[in-house]
Amino acid sequence: MANKFISQMNLPKSVSNVFAARNIITAKDALSLTEFELMELLDVGFPEVASAVKHISELASPPYQTVLLLLEQRYESEHLGGHLPTCLRGLDEALCGGIPFGALTELVGPAGIGKTQFCLKLSLLASLPARYGGLNGHVIYIDVESKFTSKRLLEIGACSFPEIFQMDGMAKEMAGRILVLRPVSLSQLTESLEQVKVAMLKNQVKLLVIDSMAALISGSLAEFSRIPVIVTNQVRSQSRVATCQYSFQEKDKTVGDPERFNSHLVAALGNNWAHAVTIRLVLEASSGQRFIKIAKSPISPALAFPFIITSAGILLQDNDGIEVMGPQLNSISCAGNGDFIDFNNQKLQ
Amino acid sequence: MGLLKHLERDFPIIDSDFQRFCASHGILSDCFDFTQFHLILALAIYPHAVEDFLFHDLYVLAAFAEAQSTSERLKQGITQVLTIIDGQHQTWFNGMELLENHQRRKRVLRTGCVGLDLLLEGGLCQGQLTELVGPSSSGKTQVCLQAASNVAKDIGGVVFIDTGNSVSPKRIVHLVNNILDPTPGEAKNRMFERIMRCILCHSVFNIFSLFNVLHELEANLRLQSEEARVQLIIIDSISSLITPILGSGSHGHALMISVGILLKKLANEYDIAVLVTNHMVGRDGGTLKPALGDSWKSIPNVRLLLSRVSGDNKCSMSIIKHPSVCARKQKMR
Amino acid sequence: MEINTLPISASTRGKLISTGYTSLSSLSSISPSRLAQDLRIQESEAVEILKVASVNCGVGNSDGTRAIVAGAQTAWDMLHEEEFARRITTSCEEFDQILGGGISLKEVTEFGGVPGIGKTQMGIQLAVNVQIPVDYGGLGGKAIYIDTEGSFMVERALQIAEACVEDLLDNGPARKDFRASQPNLSAKNLLRDIFYFRVCSYTEQIALVNYLEKFISEHKEVKAIIVDSVTFHFRQDFQDMALRTRLLSNMALKLMQLAKKFNLAVVLMNQVTTKYCDGSFRLTLALGDSWSHTCTNRVILYWEGNERYAYMDKSPSLPSASAPYAVTSKGIRSSASNCKRIKLMQA
Repeated sequence: MANKFISQMNLPKSVSNVFAARNIITAKDALSLTEFELMELLDVGFPEVASAVKHISELASPPYQTVLLLLEQRYESEHLGGHLPTCLRGLDEALCGGIPFGALTELVGPAGIGKTQFCLKLSLLASLPARYGGLNGHVIYIDVESKFTSKRLLEIGACSFPEIFQMDGMAKEMAGRILVLRPVSLSQLTESLEQVKVAMLKNQVKLLVIDSMAALISGSLAEFSRIPVIVTNQVRSQSRVATCQYSFQEKDKTVGDPERFNSHLVAALGNNWAHAVTIRLVLEASSGQRFIKIAKSPISPALAFPFIITSAGILLQDNDGIEVMGPQLNSISCAGNGDFIDFNNQKLQ
Repeated sequence: MGLLKHLERDFPIIDSDFQRFCASHGILSDCFDFTQFHLILALAIYPHAVEDFLFHDLYVLAAFAEAQSTSERLKQGITQVLTIIDGQHQTWFNGMELLENHQRRKRVLRTGCVGLDLLLEGGLCQGQLTELVGPSSSGKTQVCLQAASNVAKDIGGVVFIDTGNSVSPKRIVHLVNNILDPTPGEAKNRMFERIMRCILCHSVFNIFSLFNVLHELEANLRLQSEEARVQLIIIDSISSLITPILGSGSHGHALMISVGILLKKLANEYDIAVLVTNHMVGRDGGTLKPALGDSWKSIPNVRLLLSRVSGDNKCSMSIIKHPSVCARKQKMR
Repeated sequence: MEINTLPISASTRGKLISTGYTSLSSLSSISPSRLAQDLRIQESEAVEILKVASVNCGVGNSDGTRAIVAGAQTAWDMLHEEEFARRITTSCEEFDQILGGGISLKEVTEFGGVPGIGKTQMGIQLAVNVQIPVDYGGLGGKAIYIDTEGSFMVERALQIAEACVEDLLDNGPARKDFRASQPNLSAKNLLRDIFYFRVCSYTEQIALVNYLEKFISEHKEVKAIIVDSVTFHFRQDFQDMALRTRLLSNMALKLMQLAKKFNLAVVLMNQVTTKYCDGSFRLTLALGDSWSHTCTNRVILYWEGNERYAYMDKSPSLPSASAPYAVTSKGIRSSASNCKRIKLMQA
């Protein structure tokens, strides 16, 4: 919309010529200036500029839909009501059916908590044939840290969906539907995201996973293609001094509990990024238990579910969830994470 | 040449003959209609035009005129034009007259904010442009509303030009009730209605409509009756109108200065106090400075800085610039 | 020079000045043909110039009306108008209280807070609540929802709309016949009357704000414009901060104008940023100091212990205050009424 040419907007000839003469070609060029600046630049009176800008704006502004229409469309045209089920019953219920299409979902958690496991499982689910509850599509998996292993993927598949993976050639086909990209730098990542855009149009891509980096372009990608996009994010520790409050909030309340902040972790990409994601799932460990927590979602209440990692991937231990309140939501605890180092035993069996 | 033609209608002596005579001496005749202010500007643009006429040796001019057939009329014309030029000027004042003018016509308006009135030694001066500078939520609008209700109660008309839809009648009611006699009654109700009717609000959302309003105001102020006279003009906030036009071009700055000059002209000629607000923006390093920059700085007669003590509901106020009071600080609520 | 203040092009202005027309009064009694001749322009252009000039010097108001400025309103009239004005409820009593009874029409209200605090929830809730019928004490209007982040969830809107209808039928004037006479009150109808715009760049955002004037004059029932969030695109694509400030303040003035002209509420969502001041990092709302002046009201949403609070940071008419609120499956509610939450967990 923003790159529409002014010359094609049916403005009066004299006006559009003036725009062209000053090298204002697209709607974006025109609207990046205030009316007053345009008036100076184009040497035209204010009323003329105002009406021209109005005309350009009308053509450059996006169309509207009523929410009802949006809702009907979603139910009609999209499989499973526009959600990719995670096969974790409690989580699916809380998220109204799973990871939503057309939105950016973020997984945050310390290293080794199971982010990659979760991603692998979701990739499998998206590639499964529809009769097994999958999306029957291709998956693009952007693997920045080279953590993707086909072996583990097949293992999860074989354990969770034995009936499919024992069929001849099925395992191969499933794995073949998952396309792994391994960019090594940010510029490459952006580049591959651009490629993804093209690839998505060609193939039946039903899921995009980025493990574990983030680029703002992915947000628009999600909507562009109406598929779910999963991004993982790492954590960094934050010193207590840096915890922020508004100036009107009293300071002394936080001072009372210094212990709490010693192991305070925050998502590696800051607030600005957090605003950009639609759903944020935090994977964390506290007192010997792993939790998956819905930290930000426009649909669901804030709930935490305990989970374990088995050879079939992530399993929820409890489908009811525990309500999370307050600043806990955005904190990520990793206390007792050390106990879990040996979870690999189970995996290696 | 349009204006000389215009003069011809009122002064038959300045006929086309005379115009031609002037033109033949290189005198541009269209500068006679200037008021004092425009005369100065016109001088800056064509230094030769008015000077030519004023510094032309009148005897030489008269001698030339003698040589013409209609000499008598031309001489009359010259005298007439000189009178017109004199008339266009405001008369020169000496200090005594200025003082007298000040004492007789310019009043000091109490704002009702005790701190502010103390600080300004009485309140807002008519004939002066007072500016309030302060960060967001430092109480600028509150001072404006308070001043509006108090002036409306004490003396009369207030014009409130609003750019942020921030005039809340409920708030004014609250403020008015605070300053009115607490005993309810018919007299109070009438008083209340009079005050509310005295405050005139107008929403303005771009610089040109501000000019429209001010020009219209100027035209109507000449005709206003004495009892409903406008005493105070408030613009809250002038900076939000000017910020979008301060770009690369110079015309934005020119407009900003024009607003200032126009406001000061209104203030001076019609004995009005003008109160405008300006916001603060961050500079590198976190310190704040007023939004409209150095070229605006010289325009207001009085500049006051409002600031809010963080975590406290108190605001403090200090004088940045004042023609007669020295810099001080005052607490207020 | 008075001519400076006319909204005419620079070249026309130059011509006027160089031919000696520098004051508005010099243009007040001249014929178009004469002006055209002097400036060496087309007569039609001269007519335009004179038209602009006559608007500016307030000619035409000579019919002896008492108004000193056309279009102005006395505070007395405004007070009477406000007596009949209704506000948009947030569905949380305490929240409404600090807002002076709800979101006020004709004003621009800004909400800001950390991610996940409930800004989008608030946006959807208001888009639904503005449609509460007049019989139930609402406005019976329609809403425009401008989504810049892509965070609007249809399912959530449906949930909130259903809960809203349910609450209205439970608590409203609950006579059976009355209920029957309200066939329009259904979640579907509520969703039908939210106009959803998805904005993908700041250019589109500016274009849309410009276009809204026309859109609303075709859809007069619109009583709320919600922008979620105003910040997103302006935080990404800008190098030239001065230009950003100009564009933002220009846009804010246009929103202000819409609010006033069509008697509707404008609600803007803003993000937070950290700012270094007085030796420590503080959270503040994004878009800088200049922006902080542009909204009429500013409300900050924050965590206090385990509860969500709203803080009235700036308002011309209300004192600073804070109140707790909660985000439940039904939408924004008072923090005390948590019972519905449990219901959902059992489901």
